[in-house]
Amino acid sequence: MTSFENEKKAIAAAMVAYKVPGIQKAAADAKAAGMEATEIIEAMGAGMSEVGVLFERGKLFLPHVLSAANGMSAAVKALEADLPKDQVGVKLAKVCMGTVEGDVHDIGKSICSTMLQCGGFDVVDLGRDVPSKDFIAQVKDNGCTMMGLSALMTTTMTVQRDIIGMLKDAGLRDNVKVMVGGAPVTQTWADKIGADCYSESASEQVDRAKALLG
Amino acid sequence: MVMFTRMGDGRRVETTRKQVIDDIYLGMSHAAECSEAKPLSGDEVDHLADILCSEGKVLGVAPGNEVVLTEDGGPYKLMIDSGSSGNGIDMSRTESIMVHERALGMDSFQLAHIDYSIKAVKPIISYEMMVLEKVQAMTIVPLFYGAMPNMGLYYKPDGPFGNPADLMREFKIEEAQHEAEAASDAIAQDIEFITDRIMAAGGEGFNFDTTASAGDADFAGTLKGIEKMRKSHPDSYIVMGMSAENVLGIHGEIEYDGKVVAGLYPHEQVKLAEKAGVNVFGPVVNTNTSKSLAWNLARAITIVKQCETASKIPCHVNMGMGVGGIPMSETPPIDAVSRCSKAMVEIAHVDGI
Repeated sequence: MTSFENEKKAIAAAMVAYKVPGIQKAAADAKAAGMEATEIIEAMGAGMSEVGVLFERGKLFLPHVLSAANGMSAAVKALEADLPKDQVGVKLAKVCMGTVEGDVHDIGKSICSTMLQCGGFDVVDLGRDVPSKDFIAQVKDNGCTMMGLSALMTTTMTVQRDIIGMLKDAGLRDNVKVMVGGAPVTQTWADKIGADCYSESASEQVDRAKALLG
Repeated sequence: MVMFTRMGDGRRVETTRKQVIDDIYLGMSHAAECSEAKPLSGDEVDHLADILCSEGKVLGVAPGNEVVLTEDGGPYKLMIDSGSSGNGIDMSRTESIMVHERALGMDSFQLAHIDYSIKAVKPIISYEMMVLEKVQAMTIVPLFYGAMPNMGLYYKPDGPFGNPADLMREFKIEEAQHEAEAASDAIAQDIEFITDRIMAAGGEGFNFDTTASAGDADFAGTLKGIEKMRKSHPDSYIVMGMSAENVLGIHGEIEYDGKVVAGLYPHEQVKLAEKAGVNVFGPVVNTNTSKSLAWNLARAITIVKQCETASKIPCHVNMGMGVGGIPMSETPPIDAVSRCSKAMVEIAHVDGI
């Protein structure tokens, strides 16, 4: 039984090179060599993690990450016929992301949303200055099981605590994993307000979000 | 011997000199990994450890080694009361500037508007010109006008250009890049418009604070705007401070002077700032809240020293909440602030803070 090491290496290299046709070709070559569709997708997932590391180190940038994710999506689509029906179009979890009410900072949250999307999550980006009730509605009415709350100011980070309180009051706290982030936010703050997850960077956030899935 | 130190979130924790030295080496290697900075020498590590392990609550440099101070944020830090920050002293901008000059001994200062962004200043520039002229008549401190480029305001929903973050999530990468380029050109034009008027009102220069907060197109646009300002006002004084240690690649390929600006670290940023016509550059190194003061300060010094070495213009390092090794804490603890400041001057040899 072959371990398809050469194909895996070619897929990883294509992901890091982030060109859509290159990724499609590497996946098609792996399939032609007899590699299972699920294995090919796993190899692309590993390549995507490497792309995340290079983004973190400032060697690749947001459009490159998106291009790699786009290439992976196209390759997965071509493999769909070979996948078990219950694995087609499956996302890891549905996450609502937003910058909390009173805070108009956007870019950090947007990068986190993009990285989660590239990491296989179904992301609902609510934007910035999001009314707290809108986060609750996403859990109640839109099936979100994870939530990312961004705050870039010491004056707005307290809204993260308020939203966790609102989730408790609505009896929804156990239905959702709450992730917090933003410049003034720390692990100590996350612990203090009872959040499930804090991370220092967008790439780390994807790993921690996956870890929350159990 | 056990002593107190801080974590990057400001918590007081116990440590030992050995642990401090271990963390210094780890912080240095992280800096080298990120920015290819040269590590500090053995003597510099020892000096840094002495500073970090010193018993005094507040430390300072030796007499004669003081450096000059520039400032960002303008008069508002005395005036505002946001509940958890600011001093809440009811006074005008003019009075606040005079207090900074006469009571706090600032070496330079700036007038700024509460919205503190290039775009927000544009429609009120005539009012700002009048205030600047009045303050100039009442003070002797070198007075800049200050604002953040804050190019995020040029994107939807605040501005006319498509938001690259939204477009990219739909995989419209080329369209996102095109919008970022258009916004970059627009901010360069607005910088020219505003700085022409500030200089006409008697301003001594301009402080571009928190540059590149919207990423690489923000950085490139600001540099283009500065180039125009330098051409029109060759004697003006231009300060450029950064928003983060490396330039976020939102566009990914946009260039200034033939160089892709995404991912640049301070020692590379400063070379482009020099070319554009900047007089004083403000490098930033971000604090990691999960790491110790020793780790963060060693990392910050290593990166800033590399910038200072590469630079032909003075570098005034950003030192404050969450930057320059200082903990991310609303009121940064003075023990950490004074240690970081002393180390930046004595080891990184910064020209100012």
